[in-house]
Amino acid sequence: MVISPLRRKVLRDLRRLWAQVLAIALVLAAGVATLILGNGAYASLSETRAHYYDENRFADVFADVTRAPRALLGEVAEIEGVLDAEARIVKLGLLDLPGMVEPGSVLFVSLPETGGLNRLYLRQGRLPDPLAAREIVVSDGFAAAHRLGPGDLLPVLMNGQRRDLTITGVALSPEFIYALGPGQMMPDPRRFGVVWAPRSALEAAYDLDGAFSNLVLKLAPGANPDRVIEALDRLTERYGGVGATGRADQISHAFLDAELQALWAMVRVLPPIFLLVAAMLVNMTLSRLITLEREQIGLLKAIGYSSRAVAQHYVEFVLLIAVVGIGIGFAAGAWLGSELAQIYARFFTFPYLVFTRDPQLYGLAAVITLAAAVAGALYAVRSVVKLPPAVAMSPPSPVVYRKRGAWVRRLLNLRQTGVMVARHLMRWPFRTASSTLGVAMAVAILVASLWPFGSIDRMIDVTFFRSERHDAQIVFGTPEPLRAVFAAQDMPGVMVAEPFRQVAATISHRGREKTLAITGRPAEPRLSRVLDAGLRPMPMPQAGLILSEALAKTLQVRPGDQVTVALQEGRRSTVTLRVSALSVGYMGLGAAMEIGALNRLMGEGALISGVNLMIDDARAAEFYAAARTTPKTELIGVTSLMLSRFRATLAENITVMVTVYVVLAGIIAIGVVYNFSRIALSEQGRELASLRVLGFTNREVSGVLFGELATVVLLAQPLGWLIGYGISAAMAASFSSDLYRVPFVVERDVFAIASLVVCAAALVSAWAIRGRINNLDMIEVLKTRE
Amino acid sequence: MPDASDIVFRATGLTKVYRSGALEVHALRGIDFQARKGEFIVILGPSGSGKSTFLNIVGGLDRASGGQVWFEEHQLTALDEGQLTQYRRDHVGFVFQFYNLVPSLTAHENVQLVTEIARHPMRADEALALVGLQDRANHFPAQLSGGEQQRVAIARAIAKNPEVLLCDEPTGALDSATGIKVLEALTQVNRAVGATTLVITHNAAIRDIADRVIRFADGRIVEETVNTVKKQPSEVAW
Ligand SMILES: Nc1ncnc2c1ncn2[C@@H]1O[C@H](COP(=O)(O)OP(=O)(O)OP(=O)(O)O)[C@@H](O)[C@H]1O
Ligand SMILES: [Mg+2]
Repeated sequence: MVISPLRRKVLRDLRRLWAQVLAIALVLAAGVATLILGNGAYASLSETRAHYYDENRFADVFADVTRAPRALLGEVAEIEGVLDAEARIVKLGLLDLPGMVEPGSVLFVSLPETGGLNRLYLRQGRLPDPLAAREIVVSDGFAAAHRLGPGDLLPVLMNGQRRDLTITGVALSPEFIYALGPGQMMPDPRRFGVVWAPRSALEAAYDLDGAFSNLVLKLAPGANPDRVIEALDRLTERYGGVGATGRADQISHAFLDAELQALWAMVRVLPPIFLLVAAMLVNMTLSRLITLEREQIGLLKAIGYSSRAVAQHYVEFVLLIAVVGIGIGFAAGAWLGSELAQIYARFFTFPYLVFTRDPQLYGLAAVITLAAAVAGALYAVRSVVKLPPAVAMSPPSPVVYRKRGAWVRRLLNLRQTGVMVARHLMRWPFRTASSTLGVAMAVAILVASLWPFGSIDRMIDVTFFRSERHDAQIVFGTPEPLRAVFAAQDMPGVMVAEPFRQVAATISHRGREKTLAITGRPAEPRLSRVLDAGLRPMPMPQAGLILSEALAKTLQVRPGDQVTVALQEGRRSTVTLRVSALSVGYMGLGAAMEIGALNRLMGEGALISGVNLMIDDARAAEFYAAARTTPKTELIGVTSLMLSRFRATLAENITVMVTVYVVLAGIIAIGVVYNFSRIALSEQGRELASLRVLGFTNREVSGVLFGELATVVLLAQPLGWLIGYGISAAMAASFSSDLYRVPFVVERDVFAIASLVVCAAALVSAWAIRGRINNLDMIEVLKTRE
Repeated sequence: MPDASDIVFRATGLTKVYRSGALEVHALRGIDFQARKGEFIVILGPSGSGKSTFLNIVGGLDRASGGQVWFEEHQLTALDEGQLTQYRRDHVGFVFQFYNLVPSLTAHENVQLVTEIARHPMRADEALALVGLQDRANHFPAQLSGGEQQRVAIARAIAKNPEVLLCDEPTGALDSATGIKVLEALTQVNRAVGATTLVITHNAAIRDIADRVIRFADGRIVEETVNTVKKQPSEVAW
């Protein structure tokens, strides 16, 4: 096969300009990689979840009741739209492992019936014998954290009674893909596990003979979940039902949704940035190449090559760059994808997680990237087509500079070399602007990836150091009389005990409603406090309700508005309350009032749901042991453990994420700065060599070129901060859900670090180009006309 | 005999060999040369005879392969890259065939470029006035004719009050009338500044305006003539 001369020229140009080609290809590759990674992970996560849900018959509607007779199940199954319904027993128990000092809990769930809902995926061993009283299956993460397996014993406290249960198997469930324990903020498989036990065993342990405490429903395709929930709530009302929820509010499902949402945001933001920057780089570089090859273009046209053939030659050059970028992007995308899959495997428990290598996705990424590269090339190539051969062969008309902005010069006290920098930058405003924008994008990506650190610090500070200041919390299985506070006070190590009451309620306002727990606290709480916008603790209102800002926003209420509160426990009365103030808080939705006022609404006397405690650190172990054996205890929360888990999990994931983003931003910054400087050097090589002849030192001559780079990089900083701030704000808004709200704080050091990283990348590029400046051939430029 | 302290340049046994692979080009084959303060020397010779190579070594742009060159008390052949740069900066003014002006700076600014880094510069206006271009000070090179650009280059070269002025085919790209103007500018500044001036040219007629004429051939100086009577550039027949 004969390679045509123009083809050979393409290959030679690629080899000659390899560094610039590579820089552009890397930016394209970043676009391809993020496109594949984001879309691939999104598809993989959502499809795996859908498949898993389907295979294991994950329920659509979930409802808790205190105690309902099994006969009710028939009525539930009759509700229109219900395909299948299953009555379960779901109860909390406490761990009593000998080697474990800190409190941990387990969630007992009755085994799904054969052919039932939320079926288990058995990883090891076998399911318990339905008639065996002490056989259980435990969740995979929990088993791994404690190195438990079939045949091992698990000592637990069920309803206050100590039992040794025998593990027969290890399993996963679509209900606990994200296994978050009650009161926890991050999954902690050491302190929380799911235990599936035969229904009869749980009936006996929790005094629920012939009764159930939880319902799961599968809906017929096309059924309206809201209608079903409404009907279900009417049925369960009498049995202590606190309102059924759909999948959207199921914890595990909701966290997966949040993750999917974040991925989706990444897919929408990152690849377009990279492709835009790459298109600008292609345009810059190709324009310069075409200017340099003006005479050759004229010659080619003069000897009979068509404009199309010559234009095609340059497009081919760009397409090859794109192909290199796509190749690197495919490899990087596939590799990052498998890394991300590992993170998911640690975070979410799926029985299988396939990172889809969908050829269609790869094909789409390739097409989009080629399109971006060609779009960048088109403008430059147009000039090739328009150039008449005769004009092309004569020397280009001299570049016209303008004398402008004399005041800038006076202001900055510029030397002539400074004037050169300024005039050159202003002579090609489009290139200067697009390079500035490119570098700004690198800054923006960093700002957008770094800001969550400050935001998490704020979340931790507000939540744990200003608001929930207790060391531990005991939650009772059922409300206890107020005197339980004094019992708690007498436990070893307890320094301060403060009661709280929680009542499920549906709060509504003008057609919007939300079901959540209203918390009653003492009038001037010391441990668990509610904060106003200035982070000052607020006294609990005697009449009226304090809502968290997030809830107020959802319900669209302002202080002074009246809301309807339908209590979901006890006599289930409905009252109208005035919203007395709004509070800040980042975890969940909150409504608060004075504990006495709440108890008066309930009309059941002075009851409490639990106590918040301040503990003497030195006696913590003693306290844990005592709290565990108090029969009323359903749950023990330990703030420090929760906090350290929160920090560790975030640190792990954010470190990976930030590393990836720093690399991506570095690629952009280096790519833009390097190409910009190569072009500037190619245009001004002659002038710079002339300066050397005149006796300017290498350092002074480099200074001219670096002055241009520095100007672009400096101008890019505030622009990058601004764009980054905008992206971050959008991210914060999209991350926020009913589960948590992300405070939008961008610390000043975020801007500083982003700028430092980008400046460092610019320095690397400058360093790479320095050799070329030092080796400028002075004598060569004297021999030749421009 | 001239006073020894009057000697600005002294070259002995100067050689230059260009090597490209196995090929060796002997551009200079042993040059012995002296120039006195304020002398106006014209260098003639066929193409490829080593004129530019010689001028570049004397001007500190290139390095010799053998022999020595002295500028006043400095041995140029012993200086390193940085010292050569300093030498060019402090003592040498260059004028080249293709002007080598900075296109983004006006005539005045091109001159200022040098006066800003020189030790005892004249005012940029003054330098432009010396070459008769005070009226075009705010024009960019692209707005000037070739001869005007070359005069700006001369103004830039002399504005630092250099000890030596080195010109490589300064009229090479110009027509005769313009060439005369440029030569007038050169002789005038040679007189006004007292700089030792070396001018390479292919135009043998120019020899008459020099104090001394040197002819190069095949890397050697083959002829040296001292003019007793100097002509004005306008009197030269092109
Ligand atoms: N960089 C180089 N590499 C190899 N050979 C060179 C180089 N520069 C000059 N030469 C050779 O050295 C010799 C002298 O060159 P020089 O440029 O000094 O000639 P010149 O007298 O100035 O000629 P002209 O009148 O054409 O300008 C020539 O044969 C030339 O080919
Ligand atoms: Mg020459």
